[in-house]
Amino acid sequence: MAPILSTRGLNVGYKTASSHKSALRDVSFDVNAGEALAIVGESGSGKSTIALSILGLAASNARIGAERILFEGEDIAHAGEARRRELRGSRIGTVFQDPFTSLNPALTVGFQVAEPLMQHRRWPREQALARALQLLDEVGIADTARVSQSYPHQLSGGMQQRALIAIAIACEPTLLLLDEPTTALDVTIEARILDLLRDLKRRRGLSIVFITHNLGVVKRFCQQVCVLYAGEIVERGPVAEILAAPRHPYTKGLIASSPRIWGDRHSRLQSIGGKIPDRPEAIAGCVFQDRCPFAEAGCDEPQSLVDDGAGHAVRCWKAARLAGTGWPVAPRQATAAQRAPSAALIEVNGLRKEFSVGSAFAGLAITRGAGGLPRLAPAARRIVAVDGVSLSIAPGEVLGVVGESGSGKSTLGRSMLRLVEPTAGQILLRGEDITRRRQKSLKAVRKELQIILQNPDSSLNPRRTVDDAIGRSITLFEGLRGVQRRARVDALLAQVELPPAYGARYPHQLSGGEKQRVGIARALASSPSLIVCDEAVSALDVSLQAAILNLLLDMRDQLGLAYLFISHDLSVVAYLADRIAVMYAGRFVEVGTKQQVLQPPYHPYTRALLSAVPSLAEGPDAHSSGLPDAGAIPAAKPASAAVDGKLVEVAPGHWIAGGLDTAVPAAAPAVRVDIDAVHASDGSDD
Amino acid sequence: MLTYILRRLFSIAFILVGVSVIVFLIVNVMPGDVAHFIAGQFASADVIEAIRARLGLDQPLGVRYWHWASAFLSGNLGDSIVMQRPIGPMVTEAFGRSALLAAVSFVFVAVFGILFGVLAALNHNRAVDHITSIFTYLGISVPEFFWGIVLILFFAGYLQILPSGGFVPLSQGFGPWAAHLVLPAATLTFTLIAHISRQTRSSMLEVLTSNYVRNARAKGMPERLVLMRHALKNALLPTVTVLAIDIGWLLGGIVVIESVFSFPGIGRLLLFAIERHDIALIQASVLLITTAYCLSNLAADVVYAYLNPKIRYA
Repeated sequence: MAPILSTRGLNVGYKTASSHKSALRDVSFDVNAGEALAIVGESGSGKSTIALSILGLAASNARIGAERILFEGEDIAHAGEARRRELRGSRIGTVFQDPFTSLNPALTVGFQVAEPLMQHRRWPREQALARALQLLDEVGIADTARVSQSYPHQLSGGMQQRALIAIAIACEPTLLLLDEPTTALDVTIEARILDLLRDLKRRRGLSIVFITHNLGVVKRFCQQVCVLYAGEIVERGPVAEILAAPRHPYTKGLIASSPRIWGDRHSRLQSIGGKIPDRPEAIAGCVFQDRCPFAEAGCDEPQSLVDDGAGHAVRCWKAARLAGTGWPVAPRQATAAQRAPSAALIEVNGLRKEFSVGSAFAGLAITRGAGGLPRLAPAARRIVAVDGVSLSIAPGEVLGVVGESGSGKSTLGRSMLRLVEPTAGQILLRGEDITRRRQKSLKAVRKELQIILQNPDSSLNPRRTVDDAIGRSITLFEGLRGVQRRARVDALLAQVELPPAYGARYPHQLSGGEKQRVGIARALASSPSLIVCDEAVSALDVSLQAAILNLLLDMRDQLGLAYLFISHDLSVVAYLADRIAVMYAGRFVEVGTKQQVLQPPYHPYTRALLSAVPSLAEGPDAHSSGLPDAGAIPAAKPASAAVDGKLVEVAPGHWIAGGLDTAVPAAAPAVRVDIDAVHASDGSDD
Repeated sequence: MLTYILRRLFSIAFILVGVSVIVFLIVNVMPGDVAHFIAGQFASADVIEAIRARLGLDQPLGVRYWHWASAFLSGNLGDSIVMQRPIGPMVTEAFGRSALLAAVSFVFVAVFGILFGVLAALNHNRAVDHITSIFTYLGISVPEFFWGIVLILFFAGYLQILPSGGFVPLSQGFGPWAAHLVLPAATLTFTLIAHISRQTRSSMLEVLTSNYVRNARAKGMPERLVLMRHALKNALLPTVTVLAIDIGWLLGGIVVIESVFSFPGIGRLLLFAIERHDIALIQASVLLITTAYCLSNLAADVVYAYLNPKIRYA
């Protein structure tokens, strides 16, 4: 049977005022009917350009040349714009990365779902809107009538992505292009969207091109994979085969740098050094040779994609020789000895933070106290972001806090630093209560407690050089100026593995990983003892993520730093943390060492989080019992007490929220949690 | 929405009271008063005092404000002291003529401003973009009286196809009526068009690179619908706000244009009243302009809410 989509010799370049930059070179692949093909690569590899070129939506300065792009036997590479527009949205559906900005804010969701039907099938508006309700239902939206009349901002991210999927399948296409459809979403929502897509694929016999940087997602969802590097396919073949026995060094590196929940932190996470070349077309020979640990003289020769005859192709002349050779394992430097238990560095007791919603005026209401005079009081709704959390972190310890968006984990981190004022509770730094300390006298506290934020793009001032950004901290906390300050900046840059020349750069001249390194250097400038890492690696590609995680661990070993490591990604938390706290709806539902919390997971919410993580390696056999099949979300309703209860110590240091039969962990009940129900209880839509 | 509008109307009433008090105080601290003007340059102090007493100007400030305000609220705007004529019809007629000029200019500004802005955005960094940029910047960067005089010199002086100023009511024929409006309206439009076209251009550029426009194209929408339905409605949001500010400018700031074109509008009437300290006339004109300004802002906010579903006033 002929493939649904067959691309041969796709070349794309971008013309700028002064030069011509190559984005894709000789990209060829087939998508068979009913199959999902993954295109994997890091940022800048050109993977989104593939989707846009197929759709005919590449930027106006793109120069596209292709031998042919056959879609259902028709060469669309050489078809006119009118024909391609006919295919878009009718035969080829597309879902892009960021659901929050992909729906038109000024049009109702229902109309946007109905629009392709009105356009391609010339249906009257009423008929299309009626069909839109069915489509919304098909993508798992419950209250279709209400959602259809809603505007995008009234929906959660997961719901918006469902609506976008409904748009993509409205005209019953045969091919879906998915460009990082779950990257912007929380793990649990990601798992549910993947389930939905898998379901649709089976039910409608869809063929899929799935663009992603996440190998865990590839493993769960796809049959074939193309590994893209610097605009070239370096390896192509069946997913199972490539993940089990990668042949190209880059694929080996990618797999090695994916964090594994069950991996051991003391075997250092691998990363691929260096970065993607700016002008790959100028490199003679293999485009990966600069970063390849196996590079040698012969790599200067042009490399071609050689198929082994069984559908597995690789673009590396040494592939056969490297078979069985893994990505080199860098030994962990100076692993710190197990620390003796010592007094807590920071202790938090019953921390609570409420926010009021709505403006002060709009919420004013006249209230009458018992027998008293009527008075004007704010009637604004209050939201409890953090609800009585207690924790303690020892010097040099890493406490991982894992939870979804809205669980209150960022607010917890910020409250601990007094960046937001806690409503109630107590924060002790080395035994001293800093909860009520005046803002002015917090400087000593700020010196000890620093923070690294998620988005390095917006947390660095775009008009300050790296020197300035780090140096201000040094002047503020250490009082150093001039040459001394300069020397300290250089030392900090060296510590985060950046050359001193970077001091003169502005943030837009840095890559994402480099910006995050600057963020770390800035946090280190005051020689703190604890750093709150608030989703510090969530915005980064896997290989960069691995490098930053390694750096954080090295800093801890060298400087004895403690971290409060906040993330929605359980695999990252599990890799880095000594102890894990699982947070849900403002409370900790489970706290303990990594082993205690994850092997096996007792609390239903921990289980749900764990099963949602698209990981390359599933857990050892011991945990498969009681765990749902990979990818399937458990379906029973949770005991509501499981979410509400108080923490009970079931083993030394292992606390679980009550309401469960947790007395005998060894015989943990196979409680399953329905994420739908959990989310319904906090009022969000997904 | 209705409660929101009522609340806004309520706050407009407060603004009007505040404005009337401030105007009253300012006129009072201006050197000289209307009695000097009536009595003439060489009148004796006795004569001036007598005029002051007759007009009630010798009474304390608070009393005078009270007299004016109570009469005003009962619908009696009073007589112009200088012109000895009832203020009501005089102000409304002048305002009507100004509003006409403002409305014509506003329509031109909105239509051509948005059109130029969209054209410039669609031809980003090409000749059309640069030409509209230069043209609109010329309008905004040179004072409006200059362009007014240039237009008068060219069309009235050199070509002699349009009148240099004044106003003719519609009852005397559409041709003369329109001919008198063309030059002042063109000058106002030229002065204001840059606000709108620049704003539309930049928000349109931003919207055209947005994910939802990309998504609309991926749905297979034809470019015409992508522009009109998906891009323009969102791109117009900031433009509406700027348009509202321009309405205020058109109503209050056309004093200069009315003077250049001898146009008998509210701006010139106000200038006339201020020069002569004719307080009742000043108050009536200023309050009328303020009301119109506030209402146009309210209208802009309502339109904004209609365009932007994220804003729903309660």
